[in-house]
Amino acid sequence: MQEKWLLTGLSVALLLLGTCSALYEDQIKKFDWRGVNVGALKQSRVDLNHFQPRILVSTHEGVVASLCVKTGELVWRQVLEQKPRGDIKLLQVSGFSDDSSDTAAAPMGSNLGFDMLTVQGHAPALVRGWNTNMGALEWEWSMMPLNTERAQEALWFYSRSVLYHVLPAWRSHLEVTAYFASSGHSTGSTSKLMASWISPESCSLSGTFYVCVDGKQLISLDLVSKSGQVIRTSLEAEPKGSLKAMAGLNGVVIVDGNLISVNKDQSVCPGLQASSYTVGSFNYRKILAYSDLAFGIVKINAVYLDNCEPVTEIEQSLPFPAHFGSPELSNFDCKQKRNGEGKSCLFLFSTSSESIVAVQQGRIRWSREEALANVIDSQFVDLPLADTEGTLESEMKGKAGDFTSFERDIVSAFLRRITTQAVQIRSLFLHVIGLGPPPTDTQRAGLVRDSFGLHKMLVLLTRAGKIFGIDNISGKHHWQLYLPNVSGFDNDEQMRLIVQRSAKHFPLQPLCTILGKDAVNGNGVLYRFNPITGKAAEGGLIQLDYKIKQLSLLGETEKDFVKGILLLDSSNKVHVYPQHATPLADGMYLYTADVRTAELAGYFVKYAGGKLSSTHVWNARLGGHNSEQQIIGVSGKNPIEHVHSQGRVLGDRSVLYKYINPNLVAFVTQAPDATHKSVLNLYLVDVVSGSVVFTITHRKVRAPLALSIQKTGLPTPISMRKCDAQRLVTTIELYEGKTQANNSVWSSLQAPPMPLVERQSYILPTIVETLRETITERGITNKHVLIGTASGSIVEMPWHLLDPRRPIASTTQGREEGAIPYIPELPLPTESHINYNQTVARLRNIYTAPSGLESTCLVVATGLDLFVTRVAPSKTFDLLKEDFDYILISIVLVALTSGSLIVKHLASRKLLKQAWK
Amino acid sequence: MNLKAEVLLCFVLGAVAGSWGFLEHDSWVTVELQHSLVANSDIFSFRGNVTIPSLNSGLANVDQPTLSNSDLDLLKKLALNNEFYRLRATVVYSNGAKSQFITSNKACRLLQAQLNDVLWVSLDPSGYVTGITVAQDTVPAAVECTQEDVDKLVESQFSTDVLIRHAELAPVPDTAGFIQKVEREREARERGEVRDNRGFFAKYWMYIVPVVLLVFISGATNQDGAK
Repeated sequence: MQEKWLLTGLSVALLLLGTCSALYEDQIKKFDWRGVNVGALKQSRVDLNHFQPRILVSTHEGVVASLCVKTGELVWRQVLEQKPRGDIKLLQVSGFSDDSSDTAAAPMGSNLGFDMLTVQGHAPALVRGWNTNMGALEWEWSMMPLNTERAQEALWFYSRSVLYHVLPAWRSHLEVTAYFASSGHSTGSTSKLMASWISPESCSLSGTFYVCVDGKQLISLDLVSKSGQVIRTSLEAEPKGSLKAMAGLNGVVIVDGNLISVNKDQSVCPGLQASSYTVGSFNYRKILAYSDLAFGIVKINAVYLDNCEPVTEIEQSLPFPAHFGSPELSNFDCKQKRNGEGKSCLFLFSTSSESIVAVQQGRIRWSREEALANVIDSQFVDLPLADTEGTLESEMKGKAGDFTSFERDIVSAFLRRITTQAVQIRSLFLHVIGLGPPPTDTQRAGLVRDSFGLHKMLVLLTRAGKIFGIDNISGKHHWQLYLPNVSGFDNDEQMRLIVQRSAKHFPLQPLCTILGKDAVNGNGVLYRFNPITGKAAEGGLIQLDYKIKQLSLLGETEKDFVKGILLLDSSNKVHVYPQHATPLADGMYLYTADVRTAELAGYFVKYAGGKLSSTHVWNARLGGHNSEQQIIGVSGKNPIEHVHSQGRVLGDRSVLYKYINPNLVAFVTQAPDATHKSVLNLYLVDVVSGSVVFTITHRKVRAPLALSIQKTGLPTPISMRKCDAQRLVTTIELYEGKTQANNSVWSSLQAPPMPLVERQSYILPTIVETLRETITERGITNKHVLIGTASGSIVEMPWHLLDPRRPIASTTQGREEGAIPYIPELPLPTESHINYNQTVARLRNIYTAPSGLESTCLVVATGLDLFVTRVAPSKTFDLLKEDFDYILISIVLVALTSGSLIVKHLASRKLLKQAWK
Repeated sequence: MNLKAEVLLCFVLGAVAGSWGFLEHDSWVTVELQHSLVANSDIFSFRGNVTIPSLNSGLANVDQPTLSNSDLDLLKKLALNNEFYRLRATVVYSNGAKSQFITSNKACRLLQAQLNDVLWVSLDPSGYVTGITVAQDTVPAAVECTQEDVDKLVESQFSTDVLIRHAELAPVPDTAGFIQKVEREREARERGEVRDNRGFFAKYWMYIVPVVLLVFISGATNQDGAK
């Protein structure tokens, strides 16, 4: 009795302890790390002669930042508004010999009124002055153009403390307005310059000159000169590429790698040919540096601008790793104090793989991987086993294998066992005398699976076509790959990253595949690689001779455990890759969805007589009468998800069975509406039978929308913004009813036609960018929903709170297990922000993956920044606390055992004595 | 004044009708059914006509001729080969607009169900058809048909039920209801009307159990002492 009482007390105490859910202070950055990015380089200024050497950059992601010269780390970063408002049009740094006008010649701290100035957006255009030491915003003014649509093409340039706004009216004229840069006061009226020769594709602004190509000549106009005279410069041949302005030289343009000046005051050195140029100063003289990539070697050369003599001190060449792609020299600077030698120059390159590379003294000083600002797909890949464990594993596999030939199996298993142990003894012996095999590269890098499966390789695919292999615990980049000329698919679909073989099949290596579209001819491209080493595998890059319309993953083949990829091409033919997996495609279903017309089509794949064929079996039209509805979101279930419980116990102890349809896909369409402003429809479609299982419509609601669906067809939280600034989360659960039609196998062709639908809406006091549910190995752990908010925090919300069956009326008896009474607004407690103060700028997506532990789910959040962590929705019930006191428990154990032994001995002695009495 | 109101009413009605297509003033549609009795071919032959005079009430008139013997043989062949029975439905709206849908099910199941099938017509919120699905009752059936199963077919005419799935309106957060509930509870508390009519033990068990336990424990220890 006493023990029972104690036990109850103990369990109550444990329960109370367990309610604390947030991180402890000393756990910060223990399970998580954040990568901070700025995006692909747009403009940069290297400044080594400032009292605090720095690199100022503006990027295509709408970020201005200052980088440390020595390491490339961020000194400060300012993330501007989303595009188009945050699109940076101009970055002007004071104190730089930027163009031939004298802006630059002005000394530091002069009356220019700014350190650094940016122009962003077009309607309104915002002009901001920044403090470059701290990155603080000092002042700003805005300008709203008359014609907001045309203003998208507006250009800005800066000359002598005046900022000019150039608005082209194609084939007609240019409107030029001048503003005082730091105040925003207009200096006069807008001047209209007649220019019927301007067209969108062929023009560029170089300093104060507006230059256009017209056949074999350049037509240009100085926008600040009073005369307004049109200058014509003839070319040797019609240019093949487009015109590029040469930053830093007024009126100089780059045509097919050659420099051509349209400004008679600015001469250029003849006969130069390079892929990129930039202007800077060396030994107090202006020089023109240029670079070229040939056979993997980057050459940097320079000439003095005044006499065109080469600057031999600066010339250097260095090998350039292929994963950076082709470099473009962005800016450079040299330290002025150390005269005469070119060693103190730092060259900054932007590359086609969106990296920023700094070169100094003929080697790469540092590089930043800015492709990570646009991650489009991610996978957690298991690490390979250590060799000894691997052989053990293969032995177990042999044992589990086939039971028909039982006799032979015992013999072979015994033999294998003996040989394995012999090999183990040999390797141990060799290891002891120091003759063992050297550890493999991956082992040396510490890439060996841990006992809990928490250590994985995070493979990230980026929009630029660069692929990264990153350690999910340390954040180290183990390898990079770059696929030039591969882009996303039509129909707004991104490239895909697919795991074809996991690391479970030792000694076979894991295999990943990238699927994309050839940027040139639009045909499909496959790239197969080993996700642990980043090396191409099984043929590497494969060009297909058809366009990919849809893809699906098949089951594992028995031969090499590769999951085949089923591809549907644009003429509705089906293909399987690799080809020996073709028989597995028999009986598969595929569906396609056209985003613009909102039409769905379903296909059945049949394999007969060595040939694959597809039959069009269903279609659905979600587009409304005139196809005014467009698909804005599609979400299918996660194929690796397990459904732990098939039903739900109601208050009256009966069971409500879940509608467990693995083929359910949610589609969301949106269209403008006359009475309700905007209408959003959600369709749940069974993509095997083509049946539209459920349709629900939201009035007065518009995107942004985040959609997430779970395998049960169960929780479908969708989140959207209502017109009246209210943010909604709607959850839908589908139930089959109190009986189950077929509890062993699901068949969509014999599905129960009308599931019961539970639904509820909640108000969320934040803007949701993305939703993702946690996933664990076996699906026993509670489900939580990870909510990525616009402010960059990730909130872990228990599914109980989003449950559509939360009762509104509180009944005293018969309440369902775990049902919380309905409250319209969902709480967002600060403890549930899993990234505490590590905000993820421009959070776009959250990916989850199970770890080896049932309690733990691995999470990666992508956006401009990258945040990797793990969450334990039901706490780490299968793991001892890390501050668990092993010493205390051992002491207690030893003391108790020895105590009991001693007492036993004493007791027997006492008994003996008593017997003698 | 009156005239003004009338004009306004007309305008409102017009706007509603303009945006809410067919469901607002209950419309009719006809569906022409064609089926393909040869595997993987695009030749469809006429099966029947369905008229839905009222989308809101969902009643339908189905008119399907008897299948010819040659058609029945083709259907049996499809079933034996475990092929799809494909149905093409052409929906004609009251304004003359047409749209075409394809749906399929296993021919074998159709035979096992004695040519009884259900035609599900899904509508979007404005009453346009989003999908048509042909299905059979969810009785567990053999996955593949044998000659024996096929020979059990006695019917030679389709008997079709037409069911309509309407779009539903999404829930909105029930703020008003929640506030009312809170108000009611507050008022009840102020009036002290929360009468607890549970029994004595049901109310105070949490105080009684520890006392009883303590008594037991002390009793047990006393017994030890007495020994």
